[in-house]
Amino acid sequence: MNLELFLPELTLAAFAIIVILLDLVIQRKGWLVVVSLAGVVVAAGFTIIMWGGSSQAIFNNMLAVDNFALFFKLLFLAIAALVILASVDYVSKFTRFQGEYHALVLLSALGMMLMAATAELISIYIALELTSISLYVLVGFLKDPKSTEASLKYLLLGAVASAVLLFGMALVFGFTGKTQLGEIAQAIQALSLSGVLASPGLILGIVLMIAGFGFKIAAVPFHMWVPDVYEGAPTPITAYLSVASKAAGFAIILRVFYSAFGLPQWLSLDWGMLFAVLAAIGMTLGNVVAIPQTNIKRMLGYSSIAQAGYLMVGLATVGFSPAADIVGRSSLLFFLASYALTNLGAFTAIIAISNKLDSDLIQDYSGMGKRAPLLALALTLCLISLIGLPPAAGFMAKFYIFSGAVQHGLLWLVVIAVINSVISAYYYLRVVKVMWLGEPASEEKVPSSGALRLALSLSCLGVLLLGIIPGYIMKLAEVAAKMFVF
Amino acid sequence: MLANYGYIGLLLVVAIFFAVTTLLLPLFLRFIHIVPHKPNPIKSSTYECGMETIGKAWVQFNFRYYFYALMFIALDVLVVFLYPWAVELRKLGLFGFIGMLVFTFIIVVGYIYAWRKKVLEWK
Repeated sequence: MNLELFLPELTLAAFAIIVILLDLVIQRKGWLVVVSLAGVVVAAGFTIIMWGGSSQAIFNNMLAVDNFALFFKLLFLAIAALVILASVDYVSKFTRFQGEYHALVLLSALGMMLMAATAELISIYIALELTSISLYVLVGFLKDPKSTEASLKYLLLGAVASAVLLFGMALVFGFTGKTQLGEIAQAIQALSLSGVLASPGLILGIVLMIAGFGFKIAAVPFHMWVPDVYEGAPTPITAYLSVASKAAGFAIILRVFYSAFGLPQWLSLDWGMLFAVLAAIGMTLGNVVAIPQTNIKRMLGYSSIAQAGYLMVGLATVGFSPAADIVGRSSLLFFLASYALTNLGAFTAIIAISNKLDSDLIQDYSGMGKRAPLLALALTLCLISLIGLPPAAGFMAKFYIFSGAVQHGLLWLVVIAVINSVISAYYYLRVVKVMWLGEPASEEKVPSSGALRLALSLSCLGVLLLGIIPGYIMKLAEVAAKMFVF
Repeated sequence: MLANYGYIGLLLVVAIFFAVTTLLLPLFLRFIHIVPHKPNPIKSSTYECGMETIGKAWVQFNFRYYFYALMFIALDVLVVFLYPWAVELRKLGLFGFIGMLVFTFIIVVGYIYAWRKKVLEWK
């Protein structure tokens, strides 16, 4: 048993327990932030040490330790660290349950790390539930009517999505007799074409699994929870949901569909086309409905539906390209990294501003450029990155993902995506216009803590770095995309 | 392959037919005046024989029981895992032993948490 390969997860679990216990005995809650961050840093250290090694599997091939999983583990740990830093201002408002907040953030990060690594249907489900249950609680943390409603909605719809996913898994298991992804792939390749066509249950299982995972990544038509939950949840958790939960969903879809349903070619073309259609609908719906929104969190909710659409262009490319071609996977990983930094930056700025304003309405951001120039500048940079304009990371991310799609005959999808990018510029730039050209309602400055400023500057720095010198991260993504155990 | 589904379809038809028939049979018998219709208060009470009912079914339970239910589930899961572990303990060896200790510890953390948050006190 190679337990040392499991060290990042073990560390994070241990630190989550320490945070829970520490919260019971200490009075100065500031230490909880330090301990949580220490846990994330130690886990990240173990992950970095493992990077670049050969791919291995532990626990009877249930858990893959390959560069793909390690890339996502690092991404989730970085996101968790930034979210913990960004929530320092926010959490200090709570009189109770600060320890629970940090422990749950760590535990859901643990769940996501497992999601990126699992290669077996049952452990996929367990990892997914570990993530989701922590997030259900975190969404309801404010205990006001909106937050409670969001939490309840997320819980109920999430439970339905889990049930659909389990049904899909049961069908796939029923027709292949295996739960391990590599063995499922072998069982499917052993079936002849007519064998697969004669068992529509297998195809139904695959479609139901797409529906179950589609809920996690907020793909249309499984997006109904997104606006309400994003609006009601505590803002740091909204950031966490929009970034980490989505990345975890994409990680698991990539692993399942690439390693279990990647071959034969006609099967991957089938689900590739399904993702392409979902991407086209998602982008269009997300962008069009985002235009009339007046609440910035709700607007970013619809924007994240649209971004999931762009990301699914990458999934479609993976389906359309031959298995050895890594362009689809590596551009998807790059997009996820840049989207994570961008959205975290945007939400961190929103946390600081709405802490002062006590409002999330876009019209109240009027004149923010004069009241808080640095926050407004950071938010502008992140919104520009979300549109996909240089020099921000979003431009390179979109460039990679669209050029990959064009290379594999998805020109029609890229045309739709580019039209959508133009539509999206309207509502992102409206916020920029209100901030810089509007008249400030008062002259008061917007205060922010050092931790929040650190998180914001780290994300903005990341956005700029990925936009200006993308080559290095792209190389990392290519290394991560090549490595699959099964 | 599809023919195999035929048997399931046949079973489905039989099941629906059986259920509908048994439901409609008493009504049909009464319609043709084989079954007499002579209700009285005792006959039409909810439980014709057995205990007399007291009060209504909508009784409110104290919500504190909810914590006890949660605590119980945690222990219950622990026990479910302990049984197969205890049977196979010799084969699992030291690794299995320590693994279960860690698992028990995590459950105990939940109890310490509940205890410190004063869940176990009845106020």
